[in-house]
Amino acid sequence: MVVRQYQEEIKYLEKITETCWRIKKGFQPNMKVEGVFYVNNSLERLMFDELKNSCRPGAVGGFLPGMKQIANVAALPGIVWRSVGLPDVHSGYGFAIGNMAAFDMNDPKSIVSPGGVGFDINCGVRLLRTNLFEEDVLPVKEQLAQSMFDHIPVGVGSKGIIPMNARDLEEALEMGMDWSLREGYIWAEDKEHCEEYGRMLNADSSKVSTRAKKRGLPQLGTLGAGNHYAEIQVVDEIYDKWAACKMGIEEKGQICVMIHSGSRGFGHQVATDALVQMEKAMKRDNIETNDRQLACAHIKSQEGQDYLKAMAAAANFAWVNRSSMTFLSRQAFAKQFQQSPDDLDMHVIYDVSHNIAKIEEHMVEGKQKTLLVHRKGSTRAFPPHHPLIPVDYQLTGQPVLIGGTMGTCSYVLTGTEQAMKETFGSTCHGAGRALSRAKSRRNLDYTDVLEKLERQGISIRVASPKLVMEEAPESYKNVTDVVNTCHAAGISRKCIKLRPIAVIKG
Amino acid sequence: MSFYIQLFKKIQTVMHTFYVLDLDHTADVQLHAWGDTLEEAFEQCAVAMFGYMTDLERVQMTQLHHIEAEGHDLESLLFHFLDELLFMFSAEPFIVAKKVKITNFDRENFKISATALGEEFTIGKHTQNAEVKAITYSAMQILDRPESERPELFVIVDI
Amino acid sequence: MYLNIAKLKCLKMSTMFKRRLQALGYLEWKKVNINDPQHFRKVVLWLEDQKIRQYDIQDRKDLRNIKSEYWPKAFAKYCMDVQCPIFDNDVDQLEWLIGCAIWLETDNDIENNQFQEGVYSVAKLLRIPQHPNHLVTLKACSKLVQRRLNSECLRNPNSKIVRGKPFPIMNCDPGFQLKKTAVENAAKILALLYIQDIRNLQTKINEVIVRVQNITANPKTDTKLGKVGK
Repeated sequence: MVVRQYQEEIKYLEKITETCWRIKKGFQPNMKVEGVFYVNNSLERLMFDELKNSCRPGAVGGFLPGMKQIANVAALPGIVWRSVGLPDVHSGYGFAIGNMAAFDMNDPKSIVSPGGVGFDINCGVRLLRTNLFEEDVLPVKEQLAQSMFDHIPVGVGSKGIIPMNARDLEEALEMGMDWSLREGYIWAEDKEHCEEYGRMLNADSSKVSTRAKKRGLPQLGTLGAGNHYAEIQVVDEIYDKWAACKMGIEEKGQICVMIHSGSRGFGHQVATDALVQMEKAMKRDNIETNDRQLACAHIKSQEGQDYLKAMAAAANFAWVNRSSMTFLSRQAFAKQFQQSPDDLDMHVIYDVSHNIAKIEEHMVEGKQKTLLVHRKGSTRAFPPHHPLIPVDYQLTGQPVLIGGTMGTCSYVLTGTEQAMKETFGSTCHGAGRALSRAKSRRNLDYTDVLEKLERQGISIRVASPKLVMEEAPESYKNVTDVVNTCHAAGISRKCIKLRPIAVIKG
Repeated sequence: MSFYIQLFKKIQTVMHTFYVLDLDHTADVQLHAWGDTLEEAFEQCAVAMFGYMTDLERVQMTQLHHIEAEGHDLESLLFHFLDELLFMFSAEPFIVAKKVKITNFDRENFKISATALGEEFTIGKHTQNAEVKAITYSAMQILDRPESERPELFVIVDI
Repeated sequence: MYLNIAKLKCLKMSTMFKRRLQALGYLEWKKVNINDPQHFRKVVLWLEDQKIRQYDIQDRKDLRNIKSEYWPKAFAKYCMDVQCPIFDNDVDQLEWLIGCAIWLETDNDIENNQFQEGVYSVAKLLRIPQHPNHLVTLKACSKLVQRRLNSECLRNPNSKIVRGKPFPIMNCDPGFQLKKTAVENAAKILALLYIQDIRNLQTKINEVIVRVQNITANPKTDTKLGKVGK
């Protein structure tokens, strides 16, 4: 890493629009393309403070500032046009979280990087609607929260309650949500409203280690810990009446259920295994990167192909996982309201993936190109009329689900043509951390956090209450800032705002 | 068998801890462990990881589990050592270790044999704290004498 | 149970015959009872005399002899001669003959003005815009009648009529830009029709999935496997 004074560093940065900054070549060595990042005033300050801190004399630390990471990604072989930082960007392992980059499939030097996907492969958000309203739920809110908690296994060391054996797992890895459908855990319509119809066809479970499968089997159908949650939410604001209407959201006060989870230990192990493999491939193929954590392999190499197949299996695992929790949530609601999930109209509005790499067609500088698009902490946001989005959303654009943090609002956005032009059809994924976990633990007290939630009228069921301060809103960037920036930049449009009334988490 | 009984005794006499979890990283948690020997620092680092997942005071040492790890340098040895232990927790036999004892530390060939002492993780009996998703090489540091005044390790785990 | 269904089918058939015979101009269509051999034979003879005209008049005498015990034989030969593909069932053969007569009738009349006017008046009644080719209009009428005026739909209109919310399609970005507004509007309508086609396809796919689920699905949970709640 080049060590420069802060004043020197900022010469490489240029504000190009109200919400977008350019990172010029030279900010980091070997940048093949430029970087960009999207911010509003308050997010801008956070980004520049982070850079300033890293320039202090004697600064040591595991992670580079987000801007540096965006620039290092711009130096990867085969990258096309620009490395993009979304408004919720924060430093992560190799790639920043909230970073997306696309690689030309027809360039033999192009790479695939597990760090560009993240450890939690196909971590994502699913939103279910109901025909209930706030006044139906408030009198039984505590019972409903408890019922959800009684149905969904949460937290470290928890095990799934849907019986599965090794063969079931193999099938689920190959079939994704088609497995959940066949076994009857979900509805036919659920599949329509998922990216890739809830199944990546190139999944190959033989490319997955036994270790990953052993970690995955007991954890299928569990929520996990950390920032994962299931929330009961209320429609708080509708910005786009027509698009909301297409999603079955009629008016304020309507109740929804949001599930944020991923591929659990299965995906974590697939990523770990791939990183080990790729270290070797990098040495063999002389792939040079600015940062050892940007482990990668040529897309066409054995390691690259094996990773994409294993990643697809992990993506399928995540969809089955969210589907199993959809089933459990529907049961919890059905039990509480003595009505079938059908009568409660508990349809999946949409399901997004925010840690994934996909092969997509994009127009780059006037030419159509086949690209391997890495989205790490970034959500696909395809515009109206895109052939890969569900028929129900052809006129509105793809719904983009932005999960807030514990106790804050969540948003539904829609994809835009602008995102296709600027960010390879991508937008933000959530709030993005602002404070380290250690700092959160030092600065906040968990009883204060719990009390504050109670004052806000949010019921909470949590497996590890002593860790809630790490997930407190204070530890994160303001999700409203993040969403407003995306809206102002035009890379997605605000549609619905949701406010939590009950949180279930690990 | 007598070997393990001896091991138990030895371990129970050194029950103080040599680790903290800290340093500021927005995404993850850094484990910082040290000891009189590098071996001990490795052991403490493993305990630190389990200590982040559950309160170790509630864990009893009723079960033993052996693991083997292998690397091509010291960093990869540490990585695989922790990955093995994470696997032991995340899958059959689901053991959370209160103590980890390295029985063979081969610095020439980068191999470790170790015994973990603890018990099967049981929700209700044990507290659920953070979930470690993966071990990373990110900012990994292994310091030993004479460069450092005591053997010391820094490992970032993905949460 | 089986008998009831057969009986029901028979009843349905006879009302259908009556309607078709009425359309063909058979005077006594109301009184026809095809289960009565005499009625049956009379109808066959009338069809041959007035509509089908397979034989010269003099060759129709075996068919005309409707009281004769040899009539079934004559009928069988007649069916062979008109190349009716059905052999063993009187009622089905009659149905085919009526269909044949209707086909001959419409084939003769389909281009005349009276027919065209008829189509347009039906279209007007159904509030379907007229296409310059009256046959296209007729197709549209037929589609509407089949979908919206079938007995099930009449009994319970809400089950068939999709009550969607209007969507301001004309104000939304179509994803393409054309120079003329009229062309662009037409393109938008085509896009909308295309979306509807895909929606129907998707619905059919879902219906198939549900049918398969009826066989394969067996969801279960076992709370002994993991610990939930507290």
